Amino acid sequence: MSRWLLHPRLTLLVRLILGVTFVLAALPKIGDPPSLAKAIWAYQLVPALALNPMALVLPWLELLCGLALLAGVWVRAAALWVGALLLAFSLALAVNLAQHRPIDCGCFGTAGPRTEAERLADMRRDLLRDLGLLLLVAQVLAATAPRKP
Amino acid sequence: MRPPWHSTTFRVLTLGAIALLTAVIANRVAAPSRRLAWRSALVLSPSPANPPGVPEHPEQPIPQRSPSGPEPSPQGTKSAAPAPPAKPTPTPAPAQPAPTPAPITEISSQEAWQAFQAGLPFLDARRSGEYTEGHLPGAWNTPVWEADLDDQLLDFKAQRRPGAGDAIVIYCSGGDCRDSQLLAEKLLAQGYFHLLIYREGYPDWVARRHPVEKGGR
Repeated sequence: MSRWLLHPRLTLLVRLILGVTFVLAALPKIGDPPSLAKAIWAYQLVPALALNPMALVLPWLELLCGLALLAGVWVRAAALWVGALLLAFSLALAVNLAQHRPIDCGCFGTAGPRTEAERLADMRRDLLRDLGLLLLVAQVLAATAPRKP
Repeated sequence: MRPPWHSTTFRVLTLGAIALLTAVIANRVAAPSRRLAWRSALVLSPSPANPPGVPEHPEQPIPQRSPSGPEPSPQGTKSAAPAPPAKPTPTPAPAQPAPTPAPITEISSQEAWQAFQAGLPFLDARRSGEYTEGHLPGAWNTPVWEADLDDQLLDFKAQRRPGAGDAIVIYCSGGDCRDSQLLAEKLLAQGYFHLLIYREGYPDWVARRHPVEKGGR
């Protein structure tokens, strides 16, 4: 990989972007788990038993990983979690988009009332954003990869 | 050998464990309206049992009570006239079989207004915050996504004492809101079989300038 892609300053910038995004995404959800449970349920991908535990733990995981990325502590572990979460979010959005099922992303808390077309458009935008964030995660993982002896 | 806390796997698992622990603590100290039961009290169907705009059941008549007007107080009076029994009557088979009344039926705005005037009990399935901002007068707040749903339902049953066949009207915020359906499915599982969903819900009620009430439970 070219050297500038792994430059420490670029990694710092990427960490800050990912960290701020995840902290901002976590806070409204921590404040209102019932809304998140409802949002996750709308995706119709999570079994009923896992729904509420997921709505309760997910925002805290996002907050912890966001803070770790911002602070530069356990960066690789946090990036792995963030990558796994983004991958799951992207898949969930993609599956529902493929089925033309307009839902609220629930990514940054609850959104106001919108038409079905607006929701589908927002889902496409959210999917693109998640894929972009996944690229950032890949940069952090590459930059923090254990060096071969 | 590296200490275990230097391993990425250890750190990944630790982050997950801390998130779980903080979630447990935060949910315990959260206000009731922000609390979520770890195990859902709802009957969560995997797909919409009743897709928007497609009434799947034949309409069940709204029982009319003697014209006593709206009932401002939730206490006291027993539920309205009993619903027709769900079991098919053993009459000789007619030429066209009568449709079996469906336990969960959608009702129109007009029918909801009639039900309100007849003094039927209304359950508000929306979040408690929305209920506080405004609700149908005398409606019970039974927010399906909040942890104290079962307590609220017990409260409703204790005060109103609805029979299994008594009509209960459920509403939420209209549009694609499915909270009423979820609550109806829960009540159905508890044995109630005359559940009327006011699909257009609270926004429609307000738009029609029907009376509303503000304030918490």
